[in-house]
Amino acid sequence: MTIHDREPIIDCDLHQTTRSPKDLYPYLPRAYQERIDLFGTGLSQRVGYPNGGDRGSRADAWPEDGGPAGSNLDLMRQQHLDRYNVEYGLLLGQEYRPVSTLPDTDYANALARAYNDWMIEHWIEQDERLKGAAIIATQEPRLAAQEIRRIGSHDGIIGVLVANGARYPYGQRFYDPIFEACVELDLPFVLHTGSEGAGMNGQPTPVGYPSYYIELRQGRALAYQSHLASMVFEGLFERYPTLKVVFVEGGFTWLPTYLWRLDSDWKALGRETPWVKRPPSEYVYEHCRFTTQPMESPDNKQDLLKVLEWGRAEQTLLFASDYPHFDFDSPETSLPPLPDTMRRRVYSETARELFKLTARDRVVESAAD
Amino acid sequence: MNRHVVARLREFPPGSRRIVDVAGRSIGVFNIKGEFVALRSSCPHQGAPLCLGIVLGRTVSTKPFEVTYVDDQQVIKCPWHGWEFDIRTGRSVFNPHRVRVRSYDVTIEPDDTLEADDPSVETFNVTVEDGLVVLHV
Repeated sequence: MTIHDREPIIDCDLHQTTRSPKDLYPYLPRAYQERIDLFGTGLSQRVGYPNGGDRGSRADAWPEDGGPAGSNLDLMRQQHLDRYNVEYGLLLGQEYRPVSTLPDTDYANALARAYNDWMIEHWIEQDERLKGAAIIATQEPRLAAQEIRRIGSHDGIIGVLVANGARYPYGQRFYDPIFEACVELDLPFVLHTGSEGAGMNGQPTPVGYPSYYIELRQGRALAYQSHLASMVFEGLFERYPTLKVVFVEGGFTWLPTYLWRLDSDWKALGRETPWVKRPPSEYVYEHCRFTTQPMESPDNKQDLLKVLEWGRAEQTLLFASDYPHFDFDSPETSLPPLPDTMRRRVYSETARELFKLTARDRVVESAAD
Repeated sequence: MNRHVVARLREFPPGSRRIVDVAGRSIGVFNIKGEFVALRSSCPHQGAPLCLGIVLGRTVSTKPFEVTYVDDQQVIKCPWHGWEFDIRTGRSVFNPHRVRVRSYDVTIEPDDTLEADDPSVETFNVTVEDGLVVLHV
């Protein structure tokens, strides 16, 4: 066991899905309903790559009602929220996250709006443990900002969600209206792996399209590193001193050594970007958070402790399970036993502070009490 | 403190430098627009011959994307990795309080040797042009 009995867990990566696009129709203009009836949503996560597990998810997470994994709240409660005594779970959707890869800006925005409304009504308002990050379409950042302001003050919306795959690195000024809205509403900007190489996005790795899904997955960290460097050197955190950014499902163990590299290069090359006043690592440690899943499993799990320490896990790392996806990390077995303070920080405290969540009464009372 | 004559002033014009070995140390002496400064020629990073680096100004910024070029010829950039130091103080640009190289005093002194070489001259006025560049280590 790596999480102690009855200690709180805030799970920063849960995936809920629609049963079909028709679930969004009550929130979607008629013209787009017809478009989807005739041509489908046009969204793709993977540009033809396969995935793992059973259609990307745990084979045991497919509900008996015939819907896809992640579409049934009761099953999510039973298999995950109740099973692991999850205090809060952050819903990061699935099939609508790639809206920013679509050529039609207004259609993409309509999908994002519909998804956000559906998530609030059918998930967040159905279980007080569930919170969500609002999807935005980044093609036209001013419209994305409107959506953030429309939806962002709802109690259940605790972040703004985009995909890792993008047309431009996220530090660039193109996105400023989005960051202005995030700061105004005090919502962290959340990146989730996906959309690399999809739709209008550039190729998924710096060397093109790899042949296999197992290779594609390794591009996540490269993309996250590119976004991180962009945010630091474009002065994003100088321009938005209260902005917080969360990097979900792109790994953590690369972080400390990558920051060593950024700091070294900054000493030598800082004259190009003199508005970057402090070593890059200081901005990242102050403003950025990372999730655990998929955590590496070295032969000696204790080796992870050293890396967690290097990456200041007590400050930077948030637990995430990725339920119901096939590469789910169990709260009980995915991490080595952590020192007490680090364990509490990683499993709940850092997320509670970041997302300003009030502590809930424990769902499961101790039998000894 | 030892005194080392580096050159005659007239042979050391603005914009030029001399690298001298003194007491086993390599030291760079620079004429920056008529002001003489000296630095240990060893970068604290990886020991590169710092004083062979290019001399330039530095960039400063009060807000992102705005750059001002200041302190022209007051910064030396290490020839290997580019760490930058204030050529007058030896303090690094990126961490002036903790990363620095040793700097030394340089003075201009009367050229006594001229007097010794030519004892028949009864009066001798020292001018800047005929002084000696002296490094104090």
